[in-house]
Amino acid sequence: MTNLPLNIDLQQILLHWMNLVILTGGLYFLLYKPVKAFIAKREDYYREREMEAAGKLAEAERIHAAYQAKMDAADEEIHQAKLKAQEAAQQSAEEQLNQARTMAQQLLVHARTEAEHDKEQILRSSQRELRKLAAEATKKLAMEKDPFDHFLDLAEEGAKHEER
Amino acid sequence: MKQHKKALAVWLAAILLLLAGALLTGSPGRSESVQESMRDAVLHNLNQIDLLGLKTVNPGMISAFLVTAFLLLAALLLRILVIPRFQYAPGKLQMLLEEAVGLFDRMARGSSPHRFRFVGAYIFAVGAYIFVGTLFELLGIQAATTLGHPITLPAPLSDVNAAIALGTLSYLAIVSGGVAEHGIKGVGKALKEFSLPISMSFRLFGALLSGLLVTELVYYYVSLSFVLPVIVAVLFTLLHALVQTYVLTMLTALYYGEMSEPSHKPAKKRA
Repeated sequence: MTNLPLNIDLQQILLHWMNLVILTGGLYFLLYKPVKAFIAKREDYYREREMEAAGKLAEAERIHAAYQAKMDAADEEIHQAKLKAQEAAQQSAEEQLNQARTMAQQLLVHARTEAEHDKEQILRSSQRELRKLAAEATKKLAMEKDPFDHFLDLAEEGAKHEER
Repeated sequence: MKQHKKALAVWLAAILLLLAGALLTGSPGRSESVQESMRDAVLHNLNQIDLLGLKTVNPGMISAFLVTAFLLLAALLLRILVIPRFQYAPGKLQMLLEEAVGLFDRMARGSSPHRFRFVGAYIFAVGAYIFVGTLFELLGIQAATTLGHPITLPAPLSDVNAAIALGTLSYLAIVSGGVAEHGIKGVGKALKEFSLPISMSFRLFGALLSGLLVTELVYYYVSLSFVLPVIVAVLFTLLHALVQTYVLTMLTALYYGEMSEPSHKPAKKRA
């Protein structure tokens, strides 16, 4: 096989091929594959860690959101309770005010009624008093001379005087 | 301070002594001329090495086996001693290994998003082979030729057979992507790129050979063998190793991605 130019030898080329095939296989199994496997293993490990961290972060965010929701609900509840208490206080105040007004009205009516009653009583009593006085006066007058006669007497006395 | 000066003096004395020894001893004489040396670096028809008594092969073949043995041994040691102790927070060596694997894996995923498992493993092995193989020539491992001459083992890919083997194997890997995705049609699609194995092979061969020739040239002359090799050999070879590794792996991943891309049939217009 030395007839080829540049001293090319096919047998030696084949030997070089064999050498390269052995080297490729040997390096693949001894170095390339294990190192790549380790790199992949480490990538998986860190990917797993990253996913774990992401999961934990998501869980923390979920818990945070849940707590936030609870806080918001509590705030709302407090706000509602406050409003309710305010309303109740306002209602109670209004009720008390209304009650006071009613009571005042009642007192006023009662006072008026009483005043009316007193007035009537006073009037009745004064009428009775007047009647009594009139009766007494009448009685007194009746017991004394008849005024008409007295008048007539006086009138007669007057005529006599004029004739004089 | 005094100790530092003493150490410096000993170091300089050792350098001078070795230089004098090298110059005075002389050379046994060159076994080949620079022309022969350069020619043999390209053709390998002179300096061949006996492969366990079975066949005489180019020195690059021995380099290839040594590089493969070294890589597999290193991988085995790493598999047994280092990988089981990997931590989620990586140390320096773990980071280096992960980056080496991750680099080719990302390249495969980027170029061939639909099918990247096989091509990732392939370009990882080929990348390691080209990088370590190119740096291998820095070690200057000696071997004896069949003629009895000593020879420094070159980078495996400076041998044309190794470059052709790698180029054609990469082409086959690319074709396999097309076949896996499109069946028999994928072969036709890949055959359109018939120049690819040739260009891949000879790109590698040319790049590695040019480095080898420059190094041969520099080392041929003793006077150029001081200081200069630090730049020529170490820096150039390092840069060279990185560039060649990147180019071949990137091209393989790119073509593989192109071949294995699912076909998007345009919807037929209804009359």
